[in-house]
Amino acid sequence: MSDMAKTKPMRRKTTKREKKEWVAAYIFIAPLVIGIFVFYIYPFIQNFWFSFNDVNRFNISTFTGLENYKALIKDKELYRTLGNTIKYVIITVPVGICLSILIATLLNAKIRGTSIYRTIYFLPSVTMSVAIALVWKWMYNGEFGILNNILGAFGIEGQNWLSNPKTALYMVMIVGIWMSVGYNMIILLAGMQGISKSYYEAAAIDGAGPVKRFFKITIPMLTPTIFFVMITSIIGGFQVFDTIYMMIGKTSLAYESTQTLVMMFYRYAFDYGQKGYAAAISIVIFAIIMLITIFQFVMQKKWVNYD
Amino acid sequence: MKKNLKYLVTLGLVAIMGATLLTGCGKKQDNKDGNTAGGKTKITFGIWDENQRPTMENLATAYEAKNNNVDVEIQLTPYKGGEYWTKLEASATGGTAPDVFWLNTLHAESYKDGGILLDLTDYITKSDLNLEENYPAALISMYKFDDKIYAIPKDFDTNALWYNKEIFDKAGVDYPTDDWTWDDFVATAQKLKDAGLDAGVYPLAAPLDFQTDYYPTVYANGGWILNADKTETGYEDPKTQEGIQVWIDLIKAGLSPDLATMTDTSADAMFEAGKLGMLLAGSYMTPQYMSNDGINKIINLVEFPEFNGVEPNIINGLGYAVYSGSKNKDAAVDFVLWLGSAEAMKIQGEGGAVISARNDAWQYFAATNPDLNLAAYTNHSDVAYPLPVCKSSAELYDLEANYLKWAYSGEKTLGEASKELKVEADAVLSKMNK
Repeated sequence: MSDMAKTKPMRRKTTKREKKEWVAAYIFIAPLVIGIFVFYIYPFIQNFWFSFNDVNRFNISTFTGLENYKALIKDKELYRTLGNTIKYVIITVPVGICLSILIATLLNAKIRGTSIYRTIYFLPSVTMSVAIALVWKWMYNGEFGILNNILGAFGIEGQNWLSNPKTALYMVMIVGIWMSVGYNMIILLAGMQGISKSYYEAAAIDGAGPVKRFFKITIPMLTPTIFFVMITSIIGGFQVFDTIYMMIGKTSLAYESTQTLVMMFYRYAFDYGQKGYAAAISIVIFAIIMLITIFQFVMQKKWVNYD
Repeated sequence: MKKNLKYLVTLGLVAIMGATLLTGCGKKQDNKDGNTAGGKTKITFGIWDENQRPTMENLATAYEAKNNNVDVEIQLTPYKGGEYWTKLEASATGGTAPDVFWLNTLHAESYKDGGILLDLTDYITKSDLNLEENYPAALISMYKFDDKIYAIPKDFDTNALWYNKEIFDKAGVDYPTDDWTWDDFVATAQKLKDAGLDAGVYPLAAPLDFQTDYYPTVYANGGWILNADKTETGYEDPKTQEGIQVWIDLIKAGLSPDLATMTDTSADAMFEAGKLGMLLAGSYMTPQYMSNDGINKIINLVEFPEFNGVEPNIINGLGYAVYSGSKNKDAAVDFVLWLGSAEAMKIQGEGGAVISARNDAWQYFAATNPDLNLAAYTNHSDVAYPLPVCKSSAELYDLEANYLKWAYSGEKTLGEASKELKVEADAVLSKMNK
């Protein structure tokens, strides 16, 4: 690789050997590139096209121009699901990241059994989210759930957490945070271990305590990692679907207060067979995520430290 | 540090790509090369119910025994989460759908419009299968559009009242009977309640379930949900509302758990846990109840209580359809016509999972379990109302649940909820008819 980089500016004729190397390289990346085209780029373009069509269950489409978007702008459900989604992101992302940093810091300490703890914290990330949602749903159950049993032991009256419009979304958020902490923690831990020990030694000599070291060294040095975790968490938050799909039924009183953008997309695409309208919803989700991510990349210059 | 991060990101991406590629390639040979397998004509048969798989395999074996040159391959895709339909729609779009597949009323019309279903009318006329004579008219009409038949009725389901004998014995109350009226039903529930049930046990449950609970009473009361040309909904008709209100009254009277409790733990689960004295349930629940050792010895069933002097019930059923793009159309049609024969319907009925659609095969379902009064499901199925459906049914059912739940929870009156519901539902219909 580095050899090729050096030869490039000289603009001489490429040798046979180089050509061979290139061919080999292209063959090597081909599976990935073809995969991206077949499973990401092509469906994305098709989806974009669908959003300007009326598409039925069998992908038979008739061009309708901006009709889908016009109807979508007037759809109260869009604003309700958007509100729920934003609420979900605004709470789960900061809480999730703070918790992850806290746990990563604790696990970065030289204590016995760190690898066991790391494994335990990482377990939710390798568990099927559907299974997780089912287990939590039972824990929250109003009649038999462990949560109400524990509360009952303290004399607190429990309730139907997932059927109450006031509590349901927060209950789902707890599961979402619980699921994401492990993954984020591992990435933050990797970031922390990349911070040179000499900074800490120098700070200790200058008399800085653990708390001061954490805020003056760890956090600033960790900002690139935090930035990465934040980007992925926000994108993940906007795409939240499986836990809500599994935990909130259609007759639940909390149905309206927990439906997210992706849930709305799913219902139109797969339950109602209106794929054009669903495509328009997904384009809206895409646009929102893109804008927020661009904004973050612009703002990062103010707080992310790449030294 | 940056390097670490890069590695992680790369690793993650590679893993994701790898997984996508694998799943993408996994199921390539569905039936692409499948016209003939070892000199035999291969027919693929799409189904969704694991409980019925053995019966379907018996049917395939019986058919293969008569037709040596045919090989029937069963493809099971679970119904849950719409997986069956998603896969069927994708494979139909790609031209590789199963030759023969189960179809339900919810999807029939849009599949017909999508050109996925083979018109069976001429084939039936030429064959010795006489649909009108051998099948209930309500079931034939479900798969008949513009006088063309798109599926052979497979089975049907109706609803009946199950009860837990132990709870009745303990309270010293007489068991329900087939000739019960709605008033008997409510009065007995009250008696059970007055007798003092254990904590967490209720006389009955009134879940927000259209097909099993409130549609039967709505129709028995002379109400309606969807008009004949599918342009308007009947939620504002006082008769419709009366048919729904009787269920809400059961919750209000404390005879049923409240809606939030039934959302957390389904009424079926409560009945199976021995927490309900009585519960209305579709015939398709029978195998599940009877395989539950906790209750199968102490439960029985009676007919849906008479309402206003009418036997209320909603009938719905599946059909066997042939894929219009099938490469073995003739063989597939022959198989489907055979599935409608007395012989095949008998095999299905004796499987015990469902009630066979054919008139002469209803009896086998009840016979599979002589200890139970399973005839409660079939005694009045000739006067049951067909489930109201249209192309936007899935959307309408969701709307119905979303609005009616506020009436069930008592936060709105049924009148208020129905008024809002009708506006939304009629809008969906006008969009559908555009």
